[in-house]
Amino acid sequence: MASTFIGNYVDSKMLRLKELLLTMQEFFYFALRAFSTLPKAKRYWRDVLDQALICGVESIPIVLVSSISIGALMSMEVGNLLEEFGAKTMLGRSTSNAVLRELGPLLMGLMLSARYGSRNGAELGAMQISEQIDALRAFGTDPIAKLVMPRLLAALIMFVPLIALSDFAGLQTGALVAEYYHKIDPGIFWNSIYPRLAPKDFVVSFLKAPVFAIIITLVSSFNGFSARGGTAGVGRSTIKGIVASSGLVLVANFYVSKIVLDIMH
Amino acid sequence: MIELRNVTLKYGEKVILDKVSLAVQDNTIKAILGPSGVGKSTIIKLMLGLIKPNSGQVFVDGVDITPMKEANLYPIRRKMGIVFQGNALFDSMTIAQNMSFFLRENLRLPDEEIRRRVMEQIRFAGLEGYEDQLPESLSGGMKKRVAIGRALIFNPKMILFDEPTAGLDPVSSRKILNLITSLKKSNDLGAVFVTHIIDDVFAIADEVAVLYQSKIIFDGPTEKLHESEHPFIRSILSDKILEL
Repeated sequence: MASTFIGNYVDSKMLRLKELLLTMQEFFYFALRAFSTLPKAKRYWRDVLDQALICGVESIPIVLVSSISIGALMSMEVGNLLEEFGAKTMLGRSTSNAVLRELGPLLMGLMLSARYGSRNGAELGAMQISEQIDALRAFGTDPIAKLVMPRLLAALIMFVPLIALSDFAGLQTGALVAEYYHKIDPGIFWNSIYPRLAPKDFVVSFLKAPVFAIIITLVSSFNGFSARGGTAGVGRSTIKGIVASSGLVLVANFYVSKIVLDIMH
Repeated sequence: MIELRNVTLKYGEKVILDKVSLAVQDNTIKAILGPSGVGKSTIIKLMLGLIKPNSGQVFVDGVDITPMKEANLYPIRRKMGIVFQGNALFDSMTIAQNMSFFLRENLRLPDEEIRRRVMEQIRFAGLEGYEDQLPESLSGGMKKRVAIGRALIFNPKMILFDEPTAGLDPVSSRKILNLITSLKKSNDLGAVFVTHIIDDVFAIADEVAVLYQSKIIFDGPTEKLHESEHPFIRSILSDKILEL
């Protein structure tokens, strides 16, 4: 009795593991195909522009909201902490480290995962359910080149300026909070940042843009393409895409920082 | 000509098609009849190479398409048009754009020629005046006619219809069936249509294949269907419904 129960349990776990490995293999091939269609960008330049508008320009408000809130929060909290040690003049440096390297890009990644990833997942999922993706294939159009490549390329291009905007807005807000909340002169705030800024700060920050672009676009598109089972299936695949891409953004954020800081130490 | 030879398809452990063989001759209307969820639409997708069988072969004009890579399948697929059950029209495009999209994608034709071909299909489908409208503003029957027009855009030899009259009112259904028949007469087109409505089969099909429990239990001229002794066929002929 007990051995049967354990046997069934092991069998179900093995089946899950097998399914997971198969999905990972499918995702790997999907990603390879998406990258291999990048040379077709010239043919689909209108789609690339459309997607650049969606993931870039239309994402500016949400990126500003996240970067402004994180800049303000970091400046306020870290300023309170530094005050205890009489080191408030270091507030600029502390805020810039958090905003440029870690929390700024991370929060932006999570916001874009929710906004752009969910849009991709839902749109492609709906196209899959309504057989529009099959129609593309049936009439001789590669759906990866037409639907995924423009999203990937647009995100690769647009996430870099979004990170720059996020960094700028976060730091400016931090400076304003330092001036009006902690009564720190802006000159002192910025002087604690500029001389200590190192190339690694920018490498960590801007390297996260393409990494997040790849994760968010490919994971959400893959889940959209895998949607099954009517409108409920679109919902399930969209949620799976957001959860998976958000989790991967968190993991990638840590490893990009660690690897770059280890190399450029 | 399209031919399935000993095709077996499984999803996981579930057998969808079990050693299915059937052939569709040019300029013939062939129905694939069976209950809902039995795998009829899967046969159409196999014919287009949209899915691969676990075993067996699919031939299009004598060429085995089963081992072909996706990119090599595109020219083969253009020999056939397909009308999906839900039409699969691109909802952000107008009717004319839906029809011209694949021409622009696949053939380097001058704009004038594209416009000419699109208008030809719009006239054929009886949709003059609707070319700049979005699909959402059309009725079910009109959407189906747009999908048929789109399927004809490459001048195929064969059109595949997935449940062409499902969800349509009797008048629209009749119009669609007449359209399929007129395609055969005026354009020398062959057609495969998947259906669970037996009246549609008797209305237009030259031949019928009946799919039941993953197997083809009848394949022959429509008028011979009455001679079949198979219990399932006897039951559908008496009840004329397939929602079992």
